[in-house]
Amino acid sequence: MMLQATIDTEIFRESIDAIAALVTECRLHTAEDHIMTRAVDTANVAMVSLELKRDAFDSFSASAGELGLDIGKMKNILGMMGRGDTLALNVRDDERKLELSFKGYRYSIALLDVNTIRRDPNPPTTELPGKAVLQGSALYDAIKAASVISDKIALGIDPDAMTFYMEAEGDTDHIRLALGEDELVTLHPVAARSLFSLDYLKDMGRVMARAPEVEVHLGIDHPVRFAFEIADGNGRVEYLLAPRIEAD
Amino acid sequence: MGVAIRDILVDCKEALEWDALSGVAAVDANNALYQFLSIIRQPDGTPLMNAEGRITSHLSGILFRTVNFMERGIRPVYVFDGTPPVFKQEIVEQRREVRTRAGEAWIEALRVGDLAEAYRQASAASRVDSFVLESSRELLDLMGVPWVQAPSEGEAQAAHMAQKGSAGYAVSQDYDSLLFGSPVLVRNLTVSGRRRVRGRTITVNPERIVLAGLLDYLGIDREQLVEIGILVGTDYNPGVRGIGGKTALKIVRNGEFEATIEEKLPGFDPSPIKEFFLHPPVTDDYMLEWSAPDGDGLIEMLSGRYDFAEERVRGALEKLSARTKQKTLDRWF
Repeated sequence: MMLQATIDTEIFRESIDAIAALVTECRLHTAEDHIMTRAVDTANVAMVSLELKRDAFDSFSASAGELGLDIGKMKNILGMMGRGDTLALNVRDDERKLELSFKGYRYSIALLDVNTIRRDPNPPTTELPGKAVLQGSALYDAIKAASVISDKIALGIDPDAMTFYMEAEGDTDHIRLALGEDELVTLHPVAARSLFSLDYLKDMGRVMARAPEVEVHLGIDHPVRFAFEIADGNGRVEYLLAPRIEAD
Repeated sequence: MGVAIRDILVDCKEALEWDALSGVAAVDANNALYQFLSIIRQPDGTPLMNAEGRITSHLSGILFRTVNFMERGIRPVYVFDGTPPVFKQEIVEQRREVRTRAGEAWIEALRVGDLAEAYRQASAASRVDSFVLESSRELLDLMGVPWVQAPSEGEAQAAHMAQKGSAGYAVSQDYDSLLFGSPVLVRNLTVSGRRRVRGRTITVNPERIVLAGLLDYLGIDREQLVEIGILVGTDYNPGVRGIGGKTALKIVRNGEFEATIEEKLPGFDPSPIKEFFLHPPVTDDYMLEWSAPDGDGLIEMLSGRYDFAEERVRGALEKLSARTKQKTLDRWF
């Protein structure tokens, strides 16, 4: 067996949602003690990486391998699953099929040929010196607020004021939210500011909203990296998003 | 079409990687449209059409080629032909006749079931008409991609924009751009990396010709390059029978251009054509601005009116939006 595992459907759902925010297919790597994926969206603007450790599963046994996952199809099947169900995942070594069993249903899903899926990007090497940690829901609220007036948002850290801020500019309107140390879990006060597309942030934000804490790593005109835990600390998701050009 | 001087510039063609092409590209729009109309066809020669029978091959070509450009960091500006010079009238009419004949031959080939011939004739019957032009401009507007209306030949305007530095290079399959003085000409910028040449499909890579390098290599100036063009034939004159690029080069180098014309083509005055290549009508009245695409408008036009699958349009739109002012992650890996 390449993969034989059972998992709480909610954990599976948040994992698939985290990936689906950016891509419709991915290469899933299986190993003895974890599964992981790293994928870049078609425009090469954003990356998601996700790792689920063995302990995120109720039972887990896997050998090293690579599966081509149709994330769009997974999302549709997720709609059939109820809260609190247990999902069994099975992939036989020589079969290009993923078996999903829950509530008496048994799906057999064709896996994608991994060679047709874009190769995994290298782990990014970028240094992002500024860091703020805050509630996922607060981050998502700010993203939603900004998207009412604009399609882009600046994220930054003001070391003098000791704040993490978000700022958006519409044609006629302006919005700014600054969070001080009291409202943040932690802050590394290094000057940072970069502009980002709200289209991408909305999709990521919807997923991050459920996380109690999200790390936001920032630089100056650099990508932003969001990192948060899922599956009670037994899994980790990271998003990397390239900046927009600040001035016209 | 264009000027047949391939044999003398073959050594000056430089194969390129797409990465080397980022920047502004002045694209010969009519040349690109003609390519789309002749290539984007079904095996029996039928072009892509919507339910009403309107041709959509060119729209598909523009959409996907432009997205491909933008994804690779190339910002295209499409330059459309204006009024052709009077001395092009003859060739314009000849081409019209060829197309009409090809159209008839296409129907005949379909009748006898010769698919290869049908495809060939259908390709030759392609015409860039006012519907093709108007719908192309509408599409570019919705995509947020600029286009320029040339007062006369599009290639001349593209060359002028490259000379001025508004564009890094001109894009056309025809070599006329060089005669018009484009400092750099880039060819073969197709999405698939394939081109149909005389019925066969071949793999092609982008190639670049630098005018200064070419003139230097040939040991001539631009005026002499134009003379070579006139000897072998341009869109404005048929050329001298039996003279190809190499012979023409020799003649021009020896300073025998005028004597040769007098001898072989008595009564033909090459000076208006020469003047036209060296100082064509161009305009400085253009603004190059790449703006965010109008997503709803694109869906309405392409899926609503021209029956494109909405999913494909959305996919293209996503790539387009992401590219306008959005950096990519490439540089951070």
